[in-house]
Amino acid sequence: MKTRSFLTTLAFTTLLVFALVALTTAAGAESIKIGAIYNLTGGMASLDVPASNGAKLAAKEINSAGGVLGRELELVMYDGKTDAATIGNAATQLVESDKAVIMIGFTDSDMTLAAAPIAAKAGIVFLTSGATSPRLPEQVPGYLYMACFGDNVQAAAGAEYAYNEMKARTSYLLIDKGMEYTLGLGKYFKERFMELGGKIVLEDTYQTGDTDYSAQITKLKRLGTRPDILFISAGPDEVGVIVKQFRESGIEKPIFGGDGDDTPLLVQIAGKGADNTYFSTHSLMDAQLGTEAVKKFIAAYQAEYNAPPENAFAGLGYDTVKLLADAIKRAGSDDPDAIRKALQETKNLPGVTGVITYQPGSRIPQKGVTMIHVKDGKFTLAAEVVPQKVPAP
Amino acid sequence: MQRQRFYNLLTVALLLAVTGGGLLYTQLAASAYIQRIVVGLGISIILVVSLNLSNGFTGVFSLGHVGFMAIGAYTAAILTLPLSLKRVNLPDLPGWLAEVQLSFLPATLIGAVLATIVALLIGISLMRLSGPYVAVATLGFLVIVQVVLVNWASMTRGSRTFSGVPSFTTLWWVWGWAILTVYAIWRLVNSSYGRRMMAIRDNEIAAQSLGISVVRSRIIAFCVSAFFTAVAGSLWAHFILSFSPKAFYFVETFSIITMLVLGGSGSVSGSIVGAVFITVLSEVLRNAERGISIASIHIPPMYGASQILVAIVFIVVIIFWPKGLLGDREIPFNRLWSRLLPPKNEKQGFKKEIPF
Repeated sequence: MKTRSFLTTLAFTTLLVFALVALTTAAGAESIKIGAIYNLTGGMASLDVPASNGAKLAAKEINSAGGVLGRELELVMYDGKTDAATIGNAATQLVESDKAVIMIGFTDSDMTLAAAPIAAKAGIVFLTSGATSPRLPEQVPGYLYMACFGDNVQAAAGAEYAYNEMKARTSYLLIDKGMEYTLGLGKYFKERFMELGGKIVLEDTYQTGDTDYSAQITKLKRLGTRPDILFISAGPDEVGVIVKQFRESGIEKPIFGGDGDDTPLLVQIAGKGADNTYFSTHSLMDAQLGTEAVKKFIAAYQAEYNAPPENAFAGLGYDTVKLLADAIKRAGSDDPDAIRKALQETKNLPGVTGVITYQPGSRIPQKGVTMIHVKDGKFTLAAEVVPQKVPAP
Repeated sequence: MQRQRFYNLLTVALLLAVTGGGLLYTQLAASAYIQRIVVGLGISIILVVSLNLSNGFTGVFSLGHVGFMAIGAYTAAILTLPLSLKRVNLPDLPGWLAEVQLSFLPATLIGAVLATIVALLIGISLMRLSGPYVAVATLGFLVIVQVVLVNWASMTRGSRTFSGVPSFTTLWWVWGWAILTVYAIWRLVNSSYGRRMMAIRDNEIAAQSLGISVVRSRIIAFCVSAFFTAVAGSLWAHFILSFSPKAFYFVETFSIITMLVLGGSGSVSGSIVGAVFITVLSEVLRNAERGISIASIHIPPMYGASQILVAIVFIVVIIFWPKGLLGDREIPFNRLWSRLLPPKNEKQGFKKEIPF
């Protein structure tokens, strides 16, 4: 090869290394630094971007009201790029160069587990906005907290609502086996529904990304009996298509699901078929039908981003920052350990997505579950459910 | 000849000194963040250099190597997972596996050997294909691995996160393996085996007419490269610590191929340059996209700009250097030495590049 082009390459690479060193040594201020990693690009962006917007909005509101302990909250935001290695790097930077006192982020357990152990090793709490796997906290003992309820809680709420309110006794169960979330949700629903005395007449699976569900539908129709309800444990990308195809084949029974259904895609894709669908989620993001807190949040979000909140994850991101601000205030300092103790003692903190309390020893909040009923193509409030009993994670 | 041997020794000494010095500095003085990047870089180098043996030197354009990475990662992670965690995370393991907990090296080696066996089995049929057919067939292999990982839940937890992997990967493990990989592949490429591989790449029919067994040479290249790819998989698993099958799919495949093509397929040093270039470039841009303040000019954050810029740089490089930065040549150390230390009784400089 030509020595010249080799030298050019070498020079360019050296320049890049210098740029890297220069960029990572940033100056600090007197603000309280909150590390935030969300997947602003890549596969998880549709959930993480609203969550990060909610978090930014909350920080802005707190700061314009005078900050916490007289100091400003500074959200140090990194893009996780839906890539575990990048997330690990960003978490290390937050610990090391940004000196974050607490970290927040993510709506997915894979991603959360890529960052939380690094925070825990540095003695910093990781508070996830929307990763709902109830097994998460035990996987990073002591330092991983959730701002949302666990999937076992929402599945139990769905099962109890179906059994007690809708008098459903038999159910069909369809699970996406490509996601930790859908596998867990389906499993917990089955456990609680059977415990109540219900029966699962048929259990079937599909794979994330499938577009044709005729095989599953045929199997269900060949069954002698018709179940009272259908529980479909699906991610936001597939749920609309599934509901549409089931309805088009003439199945009119109520369809149940989890917070993966909380997406505009459900009605957009399934159209009229989405009616008579019930799902559990964090709160009803509706400017008319929501609670007072939700209405206020939607107005503020609309003013800031010129668009209404895309889904409940925006509210979860908002509550995440409110939750940690409350903890820092009660801790009286920005010492990571004091924050952790104060966070654990959080009691009856009102948020957009419900009232948050951590029971002693539990890092999953006790929160009510919102059941949504889709009526005439609109999400309406069916009930607020606090499940009587929750399956073990 | 003696002169060349002397130059080669000089080159090896220089490279080892630079790498060793760099690593020592990283270990002792650099921040944990830089250490992470250097570890990630080492893993990328192993992946790219080993992929190069098959894609660059033998002309078997494999799109399935990440499948071997997955085999290495999952095998080693299952073997090193602490027993207490195994009972919780993988309750359905077969009895003999449930009671096994190995240290890092044997687990990595078992994963690598397993991947090599798989490479041999599929290689026997796939290595009869050429050109685009082999790319599509190996892509099929990648899909098969993905489906197996997702469905073999008793071993892999299916698509759920595989977590609790002990944090064994250190700077020294990674770079020890990286140096071994580079050395092994360098020696192989410059042996008669390697010459046969390149002959097959350049002209299959001519190579056959010389009595070279095309399938055999390709299988050797495929297996060796699968071995080291699986090693990198194990290192990756014990570095990232929690992952699921989707980590070993198209995104990872194309990130490795980008490094390979950018550095130059058919050049070991090109692979290393490609890995360094892409790693450093994406990290610099990732930090830059968060917004920069230079004096009074403030550039607001533009998340996602780094991926776009890396892609643009890639396109520009491919326009000006269609065969990658180094093409199929190596960094000409010998020419450098002959200029610095000219031989007294020979004519100045070597016209021919002689590998060490």
